[in-house]
Amino acid sequence: MIQKKICLLGAFAVGKTSLVKRLVSGIFSDKYLTTVGVKIDQKKLSIRGQDLMMVIWDLYGDDDFQKVRASYLQGSSGYILVIDGTRKETVDVAGKLHELAQKTIGPVPFVLLLNKHDLVDEWVVECPMVSDLRDQACLVSMVSAKTGEGVEAAFTALSEAMLRS
Amino acid sequence: MERTRRSSPVSPPLEYAKEGTEDFSVLRRLLLAPEQVQLDRLRQRLDTFVVGPEEVSNVLPDAIRLRAQQDNRLLASMVPITQEALALSIKQSPQLISDSIAPILGSAIRKALSRAMREMLQSLNQTLEYSMSWQGLQWRWEAWKTGRPFVEVVLLHTLRFRVEQLFLIHKKTGLLLNHVMAEGISSQGEAAISGMLTAIQDFVRDSFQQSQDEGLESLRIGDLTVWIEQGSSAILATVIRGTPPVKLRDVLQNTLDSLHAQYSDSLKNFQGDTAVFLETRPFLEDCLQAQFVKKQKGLPVAFLVLCALLLALLGWWAYHASLHHQQWTEFLKRIGAEPGIVVTSIQEEEGRRVLHGWRDPLAVDPERLLEEVGYSSNAVGFHLEPFIALTPEMVHKRAIQVLQPPESVEVSIEGNRIVLMGESSHRWISRVDQSAMAIPGVSEISMERLIDTDVKQFETLRNALEQQAIFFLEGQGRLPDRELVKTQQVKHILQELDKEAVKLGRELSIDVMGYSSPVGSQSINLLLSEMRAKKVLDILSEPPYQVLKLAAMGKGVDPDGTSVAGEEKGYARSRRVSFKVVEAKTIHPPREAGVRKGP
Repeated sequence: MIQKKICLLGAFAVGKTSLVKRLVSGIFSDKYLTTVGVKIDQKKLSIRGQDLMMVIWDLYGDDDFQKVRASYLQGSSGYILVIDGTRKETVDVAGKLHELAQKTIGPVPFVLLLNKHDLVDEWVVECPMVSDLRDQACLVSMVSAKTGEGVEAAFTALSEAMLRS
Repeated sequence: MERTRRSSPVSPPLEYAKEGTEDFSVLRRLLLAPEQVQLDRLRQRLDTFVVGPEEVSNVLPDAIRLRAQQDNRLLASMVPITQEALALSIKQSPQLISDSIAPILGSAIRKALSRAMREMLQSLNQTLEYSMSWQGLQWRWEAWKTGRPFVEVVLLHTLRFRVEQLFLIHKKTGLLLNHVMAEGISSQGEAAISGMLTAIQDFVRDSFQQSQDEGLESLRIGDLTVWIEQGSSAILATVIRGTPPVKLRDVLQNTLDSLHAQYSDSLKNFQGDTAVFLETRPFLEDCLQAQFVKKQKGLPVAFLVLCALLLALLGWWAYHASLHHQQWTEFLKRIGAEPGIVVTSIQEEEGRRVLHGWRDPLAVDPERLLEEVGYSSNAVGFHLEPFIALTPEMVHKRAIQVLQPPESVEVSIEGNRIVLMGESSHRWISRVDQSAMAIPGVSEISMERLIDTDVKQFETLRNALEQQAIFFLEGQGRLPDRELVKTQQVKHILQELDKEAVKLGRELSIDVMGYSSPVGSQSINLLLSEMRAKKVLDILSEPPYQVLKLAAMGKGVDPDGTSVAGEEKGYARSRRVSFKVVEAKTIHPPREAGVRKGP
């Protein structure tokens, strides 16, 4: 079996943890996020006949991206950047986190997720604002942690990209 | 011009062909006929081109290798074909597959079975060891109270330490390379736990600004300890219940070191594929160690003394019980062999053993047998009915008692016959016959070898008397003095003979016979012989005898003496008185030796 470590990055309250919960029912509680700064879950996928164990490091999101522990990023084969469509500042934080990730673990695949797709009427984030990230991401997708729309597809896309790389 | 012709040998003819002029065609055939043939052949070959097996076989190995280096698509394509081929192969020739995998499968199964058996035995031993003890009962109560299985409670109380889980973790990524668990341990989310252990290490390291080489060595909560061994590329997290010994740490570190040495390249180039690390399982399983609290070996002195006393008491009791048993067995053996006693049953009555049966009054006293074997007579009672035993021993005993033989007589029993041997008085012999026949079990008596001492004496005296002779002088009826002394000897014999005759119950007549020599006339000789006989009779008649009767008779000339006529000496022997014993009658017929049969 192939195992891959991925990180879930994003500003505070962009819905990272909710996205993971749509995918797995983990054994660790959310309080790890505020104590150790990370909560880890595992998800087994099958990508084109290949079994893949994805170990998801859900990093505590703080608007001050410097509080993110870079050591947690070490060894990641990919990451997921999450932006809250209703909060513009989450784009900036995502950009900084992206830079931190690229700097720490190098050019690994990542996907950009715009969460709260179900609240699209309230969106203040415009697509051009994420154009820089869009160019580099292997997938940009609008997802809803509330309905679960697009979540699994996003993880699958990242898995495929990691297996290719 | 030359160059033009050579550089366009293919396209111009096609164009010219469209012209359709005959001359041009003729010219073209003349100029380009050989090339045209070659071109046609090439075209035909291209149209019908098929790659042959030979060409493919030459390039296939390199092609597969090159493609595998690019990506996994070839591998993914081959998976279903390989699976189907394998399935078909198993279906068609299962023996071939079986033979191929038997060496590795057999070893793996043996190892797994051995491990399972060891763990089962260990668990069973513990459960058995503690299930019947006082402590075991306490633990059963605890198990019942807490609702936990008894085995688990025993394990918790007896466990010194037990390695429950091992996580071999890639240091850089925190990904789980391999994981083993002890029997009965359940776990979930090993990959996430592995990541979390790495994250916690990072957290601690970052929080306290330790270098990358440093790491958490130990976590402890309750009776659970997590030891983390650090390697250059991997860490070994060991979950231990209880208090592990320090030397276990060496075992874990050595295991991690050897794994590093063996999987150095795989660890450095790890990209998430954990397949290669499946082979680390035996190494990790060797670390699944456990140690249990040994039962206290030393025992309290008081307990030992008590045990010694109990043992001594037990030994004393066992000795006496054994002795008692031996004595009783000996007693039963002897009473069983004893003639005249028949034991029909032995019953326990009021704490005593009572023997029921029969006993001949002449048989040995059973109480004496008890004394002889040393068995307490208080513990045994007898309820033996009297009876007469007809065994040879008892008949003999009874014969001795009834006959009361003198010491010179030996009594033996042969079947229903009493055999008497030796010497005895006439009186004893005369009544033994009647007495013997009254003994139960006796129907014959044999006295062939029994000598009557009185008869023997009687015969001796008779012979002695009949050899006596009182001699007279020629022509005289008067007894010479020297012969008078001899008559006293004869009188003594007669007195003894008289006594023996009384004993034998016989009346005797003694003929006192007078003889004379042939010298002289017959009438005188007859007279002379009568005188001589009377003379001796007169001397011998006093004192009177009890049963003897003497009778004097003149026999005249000695018939034996005439044969020696002419010799004075022979005449002298003829002038005599001789004696002859005549048994007139038997008052009590004397017992003749021989066999008598009873009624």
